[in-house]
Amino acid sequence: MKVLELHNVHKIYNGSEVNVHAVNGITIDFEEGEFSAIVGPSGSGKTTLLNMIGGLDSPTEGKILVDNTDLSTLKTSDLIDFRMWNIGFVFQSYNLIPVLTAKENVEFIMNLQKRPKKERDQRTMEMLKAVGLGDRANSRPAKLSGGQQQRVAVARALASKPKFILADEPSANLDSKSTETLLDIMEELNREEKITFIFSTHDNRVIKKARRVVTIEDGKVISDENKQ
Amino acid sequence: MILRTAWKNVWRNKTRSMVVIASVTIGIFAGIFAVGLMNGTMEQRVDAAINKEISHIQLNRETFRDNDDLHLTLDSIRERNRKIRNMAGVEAITNRLVVNAIANTASKSTGIQLIGINPDQDKKAFNLHEAVIPGTGSYFNRESRHNLALVGEDLAKELNIIRYELHNATMDSLRSAGIPENVLKKLNPMVDKRYASQDLFVKDLKKHLTKKMLEAHGQKIMEHAWTFRERSRLTLTFLDKDNVQTGGMFRIAGIYDIKNSMYEKSHVFVQKKDLQQLTGLGAQATHKIIVRIADREQTKQITEALRDAFPALQVQNWKEISPDLAMMTSMIEKFNAVFMIIILAALSFGIVNTMLMVVLERTKELGMLTAIGMNKKKVFTMIMSESVFLSLVGGVAGMIVSKIILMLTNQNGINFSSAAEGFEAMGFSAHIYPTISNTFFITVTALIIITGILSSVYPAIKALKLDPADALRTE
Ligand SMILES: Nc1ncnc2c1ncn2[C@@H]1O[C@H](COP(=O)(O)OP(=O)(O)OP(=O)(O)O)[C@@H](O)[C@H]1O
Ligand SMILES: [Mg+2]
Repeated sequence: MKVLELHNVHKIYNGSEVNVHAVNGITIDFEEGEFSAIVGPSGSGKTTLLNMIGGLDSPTEGKILVDNTDLSTLKTSDLIDFRMWNIGFVFQSYNLIPVLTAKENVEFIMNLQKRPKKERDQRTMEMLKAVGLGDRANSRPAKLSGGQQQRVAVARALASKPKFILADEPSANLDSKSTETLLDIMEELNREEKITFIFSTHDNRVIKKARRVVTIEDGKVISDENKQ
Repeated sequence: MILRTAWKNVWRNKTRSMVVIASVTIGIFAGIFAVGLMNGTMEQRVDAAINKEISHIQLNRETFRDNDDLHLTLDSIRERNRKIRNMAGVEAITNRLVVNAIANTASKSTGIQLIGINPDQDKKAFNLHEAVIPGTGSYFNRESRHNLALVGEDLAKELNIIRYELHNATMDSLRSAGIPENVLKKLNPMVDKRYASQDLFVKDLKKHLTKKMLEAHGQKIMEHAWTFRERSRLTLTFLDKDNVQTGGMFRIAGIYDIKNSMYEKSHVFVQKKDLQQLTGLGAQATHKIIVRIADREQTKQITEALRDAFPALQVQNWKEISPDLAMMTSMIEKFNAVFMIIILAALSFGIVNTMLMVVLERTKELGMLTAIGMNKKKVFTMIMSESVFLSLVGGVAGMIVSKIILMLTNQNGINFSSAAEGFEAMGFSAHIYPTISNTFFITVTALIIITGILSSVYPAIKALKLDPADALRTE
């Protein structure tokens, strides 16, 4: 089943001097349960693409369907709600609210979703355990390593039960050991819980773990490789 | 959850929040205390004026106040007294006789208003008897075959009834009052001299003491050196009922001090029976009925009631008799309002500034929150609450500090004795008991909350306008 479809998507940034064609006609589908990497050199348009998929930015041209909903039909406020229910985000940094504990951070979206306390508590612990941080529930982000913080972010994204998780260079700030742990956890969640992951990277070790590798350059898909 | 997060966010940058809170606290305290001081000064002035000078409401013949015509006495006084006494809200009444006169001592003379009172009756409407300076006599308590007069401290100074002397005993009491030895030493040449007036004494003081010493201790030295010439006399001259000049010799019954130079210099009290006899006006003669009421707030209603009851008389309340007092009261109120507005505006700018900084610093985080699904209403609420918490904590701390300090100072007052003369010249006591009404306190609390809310709107709107994609790209 398709969770995500892009039809001839363009993004043009109108700069003061030149217009940047950051995404230049991308048509692509993603199936449920994928573990896909979007790779490409710096400036190739990865972040721009992921932002549009996640409804944080709108395409200049073309259509994006998430679970058969055309994102362009949603009002700003509905789009925020849509993101809350359907899309999980893991960013490169600044993922967590520094004044809240790991547990409170994981709980945050479920709180916004107004899920009952019992469900929240149970799911929070479940997710923290899944990312190997069951014993750090009451630590604040500052007390966690960069890799641990990213794992909390993954746990938070998962906890809200989204259709898929978008991660823009989740390992960019991590050392190789943390990168490996993070990717292993993501892979395991993908394999065992059928969670769909779409992440961008230019790290070869990360690319190796992906089952599908979409390569873009200058805003265009230049290869789409399925390693299954 | 949003509120809890907001509260925690307030303590994210502890130093900055504490600085903001401290400045709000100090601002509020400064505002309230200054207002308290002004209110206290004003209240004391109004109280003093009412209790010692004019009371609440005065009745007299229509044109009496214009020219103080001796003949404009009130008839059927007993009946009128009874009628007023029976009116609701009236606490006490007194009948006074008012005659313009000239006061003479051996060395000086000055124009004054002579007020004839029945001491026992007058005590109930005024508390002038409490203002008699200890050791200077009494409030007509002493039986005497002479005519007695109660004069004000400043008139006594002017007429050289008060004089200044430093004796060894005075020096001892100065020493125990904390005047340093080196100052006392310099005073030595002045011991056992007699100064007929304050001017002469000060002139000599200036010769012996440095300017600094004078500033620091002059007031205290003067208070101690002050003595009263016992059994002083003064001659009072005025016209009798046939417009013939008359008068008499009066013994000083006592000296009163109501901290109002102007009034003290121009009002001498004598017994009404003496004045009635000397003017030949007769035993019932009265120029004014003065009414003291139980509750000052009722001034207006009771004035109206008295006007209805005595249409032929002039009925005036303290605000009408002393419009400057009424004006000052309302001016102080306006001044207080302006003052508080300035302080609240400063508070507001501080909060707006801090919160704008907060929004700027947290751009990326706010972008992340919008991205993961925190809607605009919640972002708005969070930023708003943070500023409201900031102003509330500062405001409440300010209120508590103000309340405590006001309570402490209200008990003992604050003595601006080095500036006493300036204060008293204008009729204000230099010993101020700051006061703040509960209504003012509650209003200020409400205003702080409103200011906090209003000043958080702009930063919160700024936070709303963030575009998540842009916000996440910022470094
Ligand atoms: N807000 C913007 N305004 C103008 N140009 C932009 C904006 N955001 C991105 N660009 C440009 O669009 C192009 C694609 O940028 P994007 O950030 O998507 O690349 P990327 O593949 O994510 O790069 P990186 O690997 O460095 O993160 C770049 O040339 C960039 O300069
Ligand atoms: Mg990027």
